[in-house]
Amino acid sequence: MIAAPPPALYEGRQGHYAGAVSRLAAFAADVGASWGLYTLGLGAVSLTVALATGRTFSVNRNQIPTLIVLIVWEFVYFAYQWALNGKTIGMAVMGIQVVNADGARLTARQAVVRTLAFPLSLAAVGLGFLGILVQRERRAFHDLVAGTAVIYSWDARAARLRWLARQGPETPGGG
Amino acid sequence: MARRLGQFEVSPNPINDRFERMAQSIAERVARLVIDSIDLNAIMERVDVDRLVSRVNADAIVDRVDVEKIVERVDVEKILERVDVNALVERVDIRRIVDQLDIESLVAQTELGSIIARSTSGVAAEVLDVIRAQGVGLDDFFARWTNRILRRPPNSLPLGPPSLVSPAPLASATPLDGSTAGRGQ
Repeated sequence: MIAAPPPALYEGRQGHYAGAVSRLAAFAADVGASWGLYTLGLGAVSLTVALATGRTFSVNRNQIPTLIVLIVWEFVYFAYQWALNGKTIGMAVMGIQVVNADGARLTARQAVVRTLAFPLSLAAVGLGFLGILVQRERRAFHDLVAGTAVIYSWDARAARLRWLARQGPETPGGG
Repeated sequence: MARRLGQFEVSPNPINDRFERMAQSIAERVARLVIDSIDLNAIMERVDVDRLVSRVNADAIVDRVDVEKIVERVDVEKILERVDVNALVERVDIRRIVDQLDIESLVAQTELGSIIARSTSGVAAEVLDVIRAQGVGLDDFFARWTNRILRRPPNSLPLGPPSLVSPAPLASATPLDGSTAGRGQ
């Protein structure tokens, strides 16, 4: 049985601005997921090229095309998922979601703008991300550019109920 | 009109008084005879009850009724004892009620859906809950220290987008899973 964190952490947060650690963890998970998928795709392409032409496909010999494909892939990975439901794989894992600054659903245009502005937040030693800590609405530079905000979409109350259910009637406060 | 003379009461006009009493008794007798001879059912048939009722100012009557007082006098326990709940439930068409429910929106817009969807997901959900809760805990830790450094009272900061959280910090709301058209919890 996994030890649950204190019940105080299970207070309802849905719709609240998400914090820096959750967002960073989501980003790290996304980097891992996108790289994993990219590597798998590259492997599939290499195999297809080898089977079709009999020649091996080397990344080292095709660095520029590979880099372009990587940039396009990263753009598609983030923009498509944000446009689809405001969440990437990493965000879904961490229970956070991108929404319009007023809380409405993210538009496709906002998703594209956010994806394009995202590298700008990374530039200048990641100063663009400082807004997550110091800005009143925890919005990074790319959030301000795209008019978006990141919120907790995780249903903490349901998690609390599940945890209580798992404890059973004999140990209601255990864990 | 009577004048007192010692202990006797004497009418100033005894003949007139006797006539009055006689007239009274005749009137009573005649009235009884008239009433007995009237066919009330026949009269009622000729009365337009709807028209009569339409002329009654029901609001004025209700205004004069002290409902609180009436309710106080009602023994609800006694009424409930007399109610056959099983028979009542048997008469309820549950299928019809369920048909009228918009289950999909209920599941999409309430925590019920999340509970149902995730309650069976086992260890994976358990791990995910813990990871997320730890994330929230660390978020709070950093936010607390940032607010301290910036000398910013935490209460002055907005909790979330206006349409998702109510002004009260611990207000409840609809979950956001799937769509963002809800209020923060």
